[in-house]
Parts: sequence; structure tokens; C-alpha cells
Amino acid sequence: MHRRRFLQLSVSAALAPTLVGCFHREPLRMGVHPWIGYEPLYLTEEFGWLPDSVTLSRGFAARDSINGLLSGNLDGAALTIDEAVRVQAAGVPVRAVAVTDVSVGADMLMARPGIHSLEDLAGKSIGVELGSVSAVLLFAALQRAGLTADQVSLVDLPVNRHLQSWQLGQIDVSVCYEPTASRLKQAGAVGLFDSRQVPDTIFDLLVVTREAERRIPGAIEDLVRAHFRGLQHLVRNSHDAIYRVATRQQVDPEAVREALASVMLPELAANRRYLAPGGRVETVARELATVLEREGLIDRVPDVDELCSRDFLPGSLPS
Amino acid sequence: MMQRLALSWQRALLTLLLTLSPLAHALTAPDGVTLAVLAYRPEALLQRQYEPLVEYLSSASGVPVHLKVLDQEAMTRAVAANGIDFFLTNPSHFLLIRSERSLTGVLATVQRDWKGRSTGSVGGVIFTRANRDDIRELADLRDKRIGSPGVQFLGGYQAPLLELEAAGLDVRRRGRITYLGNHDRVVRAVVAGDVDAGFIRTGVLEELQENTPGLADELRVLNPQRLRGFPFRASTRLYPEWPLVALPHVDNGVVRRVASALFALEPGHPAVRSAGLTGFSPPADYQSVESLARELRLPPYDHAPRVTWLDVLEQYRPWLLAVGVLLFLLLVTSAWLGRQKRQLVREERRLRELVASWPQPMLIIRGRDLVECNRAAVELLRYGSPASLVGKELAAFSHHIQPDGQVSSQKLSNLLLRVEMGDVATTEWVFVRSDASDIWVEMTLAPVYEYGFDSPAVLCSWYDITRRKQAEERMRLAVMVFDNAREAIFVTDEHGVIMDINDAYCRITGRTSGMAIGMPPPLPMDEGSGVLVTARKQGVWSGEFLSRTHDGRRLVLNLTLGAVFDDHSRLTHFVGVFSDITKIKETERKLRAMAHYDALTGLPNRVLFADRLHQSMAQAKRHDYQLGVIYIDLDEFKPVNDAFGHDAGDDLLVEMARRMRTVLREEDTLARLGGDEFAAIAVNVSGEEALESLLSRLLAAVSEPVWVASHSVTVSVSVGYTLYPQPGELDADQLLRQADQAMYQAKRRGRNGYCGFSENLL
Repeated sequence: MHRRRFLQLSVSAALAPTLVGCFHREPLRMGVHPWIGYEPLYLTEEFGWLPDSVTLSRGFAARDSINGLLSGNLDGAALTIDEAVRVQAAGVPVRAVAVTDVSVGADMLMARPGIHSLEDLAGKSIGVELGSVSAVLLFAALQRAGLTADQVSLVDLPVNRHLQSWQLGQIDVSVCYEPTASRLKQAGAVGLFDSRQVPDTIFDLLVVTREAERRIPGAIEDLVRAHFRGLQHLVRNSHDAIYRVATRQQVDPEAVREALASVMLPELAANRRYLAPGGRVETVARELATVLEREGLIDRVPDVDELCSRDFLPGSLPS
Repeated sequence: MMQRLALSWQRALLTLLLTLSPLAHALTAPDGVTLAVLAYRPEALLQRQYEPLVEYLSSASGVPVHLKVLDQEAMTRAVAANGIDFFLTNPSHFLLIRSERSLTGVLATVQRDWKGRSTGSVGGVIFTRANRDDIRELADLRDKRIGSPGVQFLGGYQAPLLELEAAGLDVRRRGRITYLGNHDRVVRAVVAGDVDAGFIRTGVLEELQENTPGLADELRVLNPQRLRGFPFRASTRLYPEWPLVALPHVDNGVVRRVASALFALEPGHPAVRSAGLTGFSPPADYQSVESLARELRLPPYDHAPRVTWLDVLEQYRPWLLAVGVLLFLLLVTSAWLGRQKRQLVREERRLRELVASWPQPMLIIRGRDLVECNRAAVELLRYGSPASLVGKELAAFSHHIQPDGQVSSQKLSNLLLRVEMGDVATTEWVFVRSDASDIWVEMTLAPVYEYGFDSPAVLCSWYDITRRKQAEERMRLAVMVFDNAREAIFVTDEHGVIMDINDAYCRITGRTSGMAIGMPPPLPMDEGSGVLVTARKQGVWSGEFLSRTHDGRRLVLNLTLGAVFDDHSRLTHFVGVFSDITKIKETERKLRAMAHYDALTGLPNRVLFADRLHQSMAQAKRHDYQLGVIYIDLDEFKPVNDAFGHDAGDDLLVEMARRMRTVLREEDTLARLGGDEFAAIAVNVSGEEALESLLSRLLAAVSEPVWVASHSVTVSVSVGYTLYPQPGELDADQLLRQADQAMYQAKRRGRNGYCGFSENLL
């Protein structure tokens, strides 16, 4: 904020007539939907820490954000890594500018009690929302079991309908996350596999379009800085943040605590590592692109060589 | 028996342990340990609430635990003196204590209970009376009186303060916060209206409400937070609940046993339910409370953190870089400017030296005042030093009005204005020197652009033109004399050919300058260019001569002709001045006539007669002939005069004179001596007879009748005469007297006759 103002002043002093207009551009429109990893952005908004250069567009699900990016109504969104790859493949080049969280148990494969191992999945009907991050976990699990998608029966089903299908006996296995997972557990399901077994794979990212990157790089810096400020509050002032997240998500503080336990929230240094050229995010994205294309979930393998950028990460954070 | 044996064995073992190990001694410290609880609410209440917990701890840990409810000050003192062993206080107070002495660390964090809901978070409540319609939101608290338990209260001071500062209110600076010691007093003060608003921790309101059901309606919580699952109303963000802390002097074993007893407490246990708790959880991270105190600059963070240069460099790298670049640019620019300035100063000094050493008077004017002048200028005005000039205006050394009629100061202003616009101005100026004499200068003014001045200075130089002005004045006078002189003036070349003439020349000679120039001037006919020769030799010639005007009129001119020689005595010019003396000559002639002739008859008068007589006598002597002097007196003139008037008398005299004149010869002279007396000189007389015949004719001519005043008058004359030379020497008077005597003889003889002089007449 201060830095921006300072630069604004010094640049406008030098190039007053030509460049002043640049700073009155439209703000960065950022799509977000409820997810523990995206909470820092909501917190910044609640505390008034979000600069004017960024506006949050609140969606109900990832679909809203993706549609916004594809239609050009959004300049950026909080998305999982597979969603980012799908958007890229759909022809809107994006750039991952921050990793908000890494799933460490948040995504689960819940199975009927008789299924004891991944190998037992062969021939079973598996409920999965193929358009979501669940597909990533499923393919990772199948790969671990040495199975291919052909050997199982995939039922593409929105996650909020899994419980119903389970109770109707339409699916033997559900690839889901909280709170569906807890409800399935109550219905007798057992956890067979979760994202803890595929570490550093299911990433949630802040992505922006290349167009926005070119047009309003300052706003992207503001966005990333705001995310880290919100993250700091979420982690350090968890005694406060938990209640605020609970209020927004309409769940008990206890549930928020559990949700927080299922994700790893990477700080600045980890972000640098993940987003490095040839780093983990890029590697996962490349593998994912191949799998998604093979499974027919995307039409073509997009170029993910320059998916990540560390340029917008702040140099340091106030303590 | 067996029981007793076992008992005694146990006792023996215990005794052994007690005597062998100081640790064991501490474990069973007979006076036990003390748990201090901060009196955030009334002491008696807390005493009652925490008694069951202390009893539980005593029994569960096997160490007697005593309860002390202390206010913050007492607790701080007790901690400092190791007077207590464990304490339970709010996080802010804990941080202050921790900053003052070492502590073992937080054993556990309180989990508060409210009607089945548990929380490990605490926040602040900002509230006012419900009927205070003027206080609806945080901003309304500006300049309001606020009650707070004290500075080292998290919910009761620090957390609300942060929210107010975030809302832009600095209530600390206004100094309107009252510290009341505990939360209950704050609530009472707000209810009583002693303060406008209060700060308390979360939970207190709910607890008070239990006993005072109407309280909820009486109060309004400001800035309410929506915190799902949090059992209390809150106005601020939340922080970790109270820590339970062990002091380092407490034995490790005791600490461990107390801690395990604390963690063993299950929700709903009477020991915790009484205190409104659900139990104790592992120590929370109090960093957020630290940040809060740091942000608010509250104790123990009320001193600015020490920032190293590296921190600054790390945090403000781009700024520092930008500032560095700007500073560098600034330095470069100032260096460049400095060089320019030095160069300008050098040039300025050079200019000044130039001015000072210049032989012509030179000055520098800034604004209107002289700021610089050289020696020559000072000397020109005959002052002693430049100090007499510097600081004054030029007009101060001038007459009020310049010779061209302009007011000095105004003329100067106009000039300076022109020069400041960039012109170079030249003018003539008269200064008054210190000795009151005037000096003419030609003044040139030019702009000089100097560093550090918006308008140019004016360089002023003077050139003394007094001599020129004097010469011009003389010349002007000469021209005026030349043009306006009544005498004609001409200038010729060395050959006597006219080069220039004045108006009088034209007027006198009737020639235009076109006709005159290139021609010789009027000179005496007879002498001609001889005049020029004389003038060249003697330097000047002067004389009168006759000349003629262009239209032929006669002129008498009086000319003075001077020769003009150059420095090498070569003749270059002749200058002539002449005047027309024609009239003067005429007048002279008339005057002369008046002196020698009778005005009535036109005959010579007595004076001229005497003169002629002298001449005739001289001639007669020289040529040896005789002359006769005749004296004539008119007879009977008086009666005519009386009878017919003087005019008639005069006519008679004129007629008589004419007749006598005709009788006489040309060479003879007839003169009227006065009245009716006439005299004549007859020259070359050949004897008395010839003379007497002349006289007879004379008598005859006179006696003819005369027509006077319409009357015929007949007059006669009596004539006497004498001859010359005579034997004796005679002068003219004697001669005339002889003739007079003879005339009387003739009168006596009866008039109308003549008589000659002889000696015997006497």
C-alpha cells in the first residue's frame, strides 16, 4: 500500500501527463468460493485490509469462478490445481501466483466397509465429481493401485449428492471431502485413502489471467500481499479467526479446527519453493494435464511450462 | 494387624524418602503452594468461585494449594517477591510480568464455559447504556468518557483500543479513560452514567446478567461481532484466554503434578464449573496478544522497537533504492549547479574587475541604486571615494530637471525600464559635481544578466562631453550672431570668393545667397583686390566706399575685412563685415548743409562766408588778383515786414537774394549774414570801376518792384565795399568790417547807393 503510493508519487512526478491514468484502472476481479484455504482472502475483506485495487467476487462453488474466468468476467480466481489446468486447456491462459493450501487429508476416498485396499476398487462403482479436484485424488489412487479408469465404474456425480447415492446403493466408493465425508462416515463408510498419502499434490492456488498480469500487475501484487496478511491472522490469531470462519461457513468452530487440520497452509518460503520454475506445482500440473487428457476430461494437453510465477510474492511480510 | 503393618511400613518409607531427598521434601512442602488469581471481578466472588478448584488441586496433586485473589498491583509485587507459586491472570498482564522477570512458561490456557459451550478465546466488549441514542457505533465514542478496569487488561482495555484505533479514534490521547480496577465497577459506572461507555472482557456481561436479569436491556454492545460458536457477545476480535503460569522457583515435580491435575479436569467437574470453566487446555500461542500490545505501544512494548539498519534495508529496499537514486540525482544536479554558480561568480568577478579597472567612468545599477562604480566615475564627479556614490540613485547627483526638460528621476526610470527589457540606451545627462559645477556626459546603459537575480543589473558608462557641449554652445551662439547680426557678414575662401553670407548681406545688397555665393564681395571700385592684399598683409582692412545694390541703387558701405589663418599661418579665409552707411552719409551731408547755409535763402551763412573769404583771400594773394568784399543791407525792410507779415518779409528776402545772385558771377559768393544783411565776395576784380559797375547793376536789379503778398513793393539796398589786397596786412574779419563801415557810409549818404571803404571814411 505504502510502497504503491510512493511509487505512484515518484512515477507520476516524472511522467505526470502520460501515466496518471494507469492508476485509475478497474480493479482486479477475483473469484472466490468457500474453502478453508481461501479464508485468508475473506478475512482481509472483513478487516478492511483488501486494497481498492482488488474486489472479491463471491461464488458458491469453483464452477462460478471457472465460468467467470472463461467468460472474461473475472481477472483471477482461487482454484485447485486441476481447475487451473482445465481453464488453461480451455484456452484462457492463466498464471498461478500463490499456493493457498495443500491438501493433507482434506480429500478422501470413502468406501463401503468390505473394501479394504485400493486394489479392491476394481469393478466397483465410484462416485466422483470428475470436474473437480476429486478426480485428481481418484486418479492418484488408481495409479497407486495399478488400475486404470476402465477397470472401475466411474459415476460422475456432484459431491453434494454422494450421500444420497450412497444410501441408495448406487455407489460403493465416494471421492469427497468435508462435510460430505463426515456424513458418509456416519452412514457407515470408512476412509480408504486420502490426500495425506499423495503429499504435495492437491494444491489450491490463486490464479490470474495472463491478460490481467499484463494489464494490472500492481493489483496482483496487492492481492497476494493481502492473502498473506489474511493467512497471518488465520494462523496466528486462530483464537479469533476460527469463529469468523465458522460464522461465514455456518459451521461450528470445531469443524473449522478440523478443516484446518486437513490442509497445510504454506507460508511465503514454501510458496517460493512450490512456485519455482520446474517446482512441485509445475510438475504436478504437467502430470495432471496428461492424465486429464488421457481420461478425456480435457481436449488437449496445455502448456504448463510457465504456469507459475513467483514475481508477485512479497519480499517479506510484516511480523 | 496386617493393615497396620503395611501402614507403618508405608509410613517408614515415606519418612525415609522425606529425610533422604530434598526433592521429596519440596513435594510435600508442608505449607503448600499458592495460586494467585487476578481479581478481575470482586474479590469475594472470585474467592468463592475458585475455592473448589484449589481444593481439587490440593487433593489431586497432593500438594496443599492456597488461593490468593490479588489485584494486578498486588500480584505484580507478589511475583517479584516470589510470594506466590502459580498465577492465573489475563494475557496482557502476563506479558507485562513476563517482561519483568523470567517465568517457567505457560502451563495451561483456560477454557471458559458458558452454558455448555466452551471457548479458549477472550475478547473485549464495548458497551453503553441502551438509552444513549447518541452512541450507536464506534465513531460516536469520540470525546466520550470511557470506563476501563485498567491498562493491563486484554478485554477490558487493549482489545477495544485496537478496534477504536482501527476506526480512527485515538481515545488515549484525549485522556478520557477512567481506570476503575475491575470489570464490575465498569459496568456499574456505565449503568450509573458516571461514564458514557465501558470496556470489559467477554463473558462478564453474561455472568452479571445471571444475577441482574434486567441488565441486558439496560446496556447496548457496540460494534457487535458475528462469531458463530462463541458463547459471548463481543465487540472486538478474539485472543487466547487466560494463561496459568508457574514461577521458576517452584519445584518441577510440583509443577508437573499441578499441571497433570489441571489437564485431568473434565468439563462439568465441580472444581471448574464453579469458576465458570470447562477446564484447561495446552498453552495457547500468545503471539497475537504480543502483537496487539506492540501495535498499541502498550507496556511492555511501549518503547519503540529497536530497528537495525539491516531491518530497514530489508523492509524498505525499493524505497531506499529510489531515495538513493533521487539523492544521487540531487547530488549530481547540485554539483552541476554549483559549477555553474562558481562559473557565474567568476564571470561576475571578472566583470567587476573590468568595470573597476576601465579608464572610462563605469557603474553598475541594480534596481535604481548604484551598487558599484569605478575610480574614474568617482573622479569625474569629484568625490573622495566610491562610498559617496554607492547606494544612491543617479538622480541624486543631478539637477531636478535635465536640460532637455525632463525630470531627472523620471527620465532615469524610463531609461532603466527600457534597459531591463533588454535594450541598450544612450542619452546625454548633466551631473552636478561635488563642487556644484555641472558636467555633461554621454551615458550608455546596457543590461547585465547576473546569477541569482531575476532582473538584469544595468551597466552604465559615462563619456565626458562637457567640452563638446561648450563648443557646441559657442558655435550655436556664433551662428545666432551670424544669422541675426544687423551687419552683413560674409566668409570667403583664400581667393576672395564668397562661401557663406548671412541674412543681413542679402538684405543690404539685394542679392540672394544663391547669387552671392561663388562671387566676390562688394569692394571699393578703385582699389578692388588690393583690399584683399592689404587685409592679408596687415590682417585687417577697413574703409568706406560706394557700391550698388543688385537693382542699381547707390550704397555707401563700411567694410571691415579680416584675414583668417590656420594653425600653420596659411591664409584660409577672409571674413568681412559691412554695414550700409548710405543714410548716415546723407544725414551727415544734411547736417553739414545746415551748418553752412541759410535755411531761408539757401545762401551760404556767415560761417561759410567767413570760410570762403579765407579761401578767396588766399587765392587772390597766390594768383595776384583783386577781390572785392561787398556788404549789402536792405533799406526799408522792416516796414515791409511789419506791413505784410514775416512770410511776406521772407518772400522778399528770398527774391532779393535770387536777384542779387543773378547779378553776381558764378565764381562769386553771396551769403546772408542774418536779418536783412547780405555779403558777397567778388573774385578777380579788375579795379574799382569794374566793381562799381557790378554794384550799379546790383542796385538796379534790387530796385525793380517786387510782388509781395499781392502787393508790388519797391525796396532798395545800401552797399559798402572794400578791396583786397590792401597795403596793410588784413584778416577776413577786418576786411568784412571795412565793407560794413562803407555800407554805413552809403546809408548815411541817402540809401540806394554804394560807397567804397577808404581810410578817410573814418
